[in-house]
Amino acid sequence: MSPAATTERNAREQILDAAVERIATDGIDEVRIARIAMDAGVSSSLVHYHFETREALLAEALEHSFELAGDVRIGEEEAEEDAPSHAHRLAAMVDQCLPYQGTLERDWMLWVELWLRAARSPELRATAARLYERMHRWLADEIAAGIADGEFSDCDVDALTDRVLAMLDGFGIRALVRDPAVPLDWARGEVWRMLARELGMDAETPLR
Amino acid sequence: MSPRPEIAHLRRPQILTAAAEVIRERGVNRTRIADVAERMNVSPPALLYYFESKQELLREALIFAEECFYEEFADRLTSFENARARLLWLVDSYIAADDYDAVLWIELWPHALRGGDLARTRDSLDRRWRGAIASIIREGQEGGEFGGGDPDELALLVASLLDGLAIQVALEDREISYRRARQLCLAMLERELDCTLTAAEEGRRAA
Repeated sequence: MSPAATTERNAREQILDAAVERIATDGIDEVRIARIAMDAGVSSSLVHYHFETREALLAEALEHSFELAGDVRIGEEEAEEDAPSHAHRLAAMVDQCLPYQGTLERDWMLWVELWLRAARSPELRATAARLYERMHRWLADEIAAGIADGEFSDCDVDALTDRVLAMLDGFGIRALVRDPAVPLDWARGEVWRMLARELGMDAETPLR
Repeated sequence: MSPRPEIAHLRRPQILTAAAEVIRERGVNRTRIADVAERMNVSPPALLYYFESKQELLREALIFAEECFYEEFADRLTSFENARARLLWLVDSYIAADDYDAVLWIELWPHALRGGDLARTRDSLDRRWRGAIASIIREGQEGGEFGGGDPDELALLVASLLDGLAIQVALEDREISYRRARQLCLAMLERELDCTLTAAEEGRRAA
């Protein structure tokens, strides 16, 4: 890649990274192009050059964030290749979907902002639907692989995946607002109980 | 001109209903006092007489919407013959295609995340909702219709599942995902409560 192209790509990514942080911190509606530009160390006009509209920037920022999170997830899975079982991989995936402190919590803030805006913006709704579809396939594929390898009992994979993702969202939002009724570890245990029962696994959650 | 003549005919419920309507249409962040005032054909200062801030107006509108919901809810509950029918109706009324309250509920989350009054509001509304679910479950368990465990824990499971499903419904094609969401929720309830819910359709009287 030519130096100019590299610089251009870097600027773009820096803008996206800055946008992601701003969304998580300020919320989608409060996000200002000028602030993103400042955080990214570029001019507002450069931001406008790379992203035609505010909506376009927000949509791409969200995709960007989930891409990165996906890379982290895949990275973790590779590390888990030494893990003895699909059950362990599944447990790691459940953990990835709960707002544990740090990057996961930050990602969760983005999810919440996305839900809010998606209801009223066709562009963001398309983004949200796309990201959901990827999450669904990610989880469903692992469950299906476990069934194929004979480790899990057969079941309606799609239904189970939908249910698990919905439970994770419902618990996650409550954990995120620090609802005392939903400690994260309890939520994790409940989701695991559901998976364990459907897939014929040990009800004891594999240790994090 | 003093706002006084206008507010003489204003009643809090009217204002709050209008506010809830506007929020539903524009979203919490885009709702200004001026928008609600316009809906009611009064001047913004007239509204500010009642509410100190936009935050307060929104909070009151949400609470009022929930109050109206529970009034109707309590009313409708009595029209069913058994706990299974009540539970079935509860699920339907939450996931239903034209879901007003789920939209407001989802709107509330980002604000609740940032603490303050709306966080407390979310918390008390959620607990009330879970309490309503729990009492139907408890009633069903006492009447021998349901098995299963602690009603409060089950209510939390149901509420969480319903919220997660509501998001999916909001994101996708409503027709398909409403049916699917209903199916998934009922399947979970049937398993957790060791009962059959779909047969309870017969226990429902026509609306």
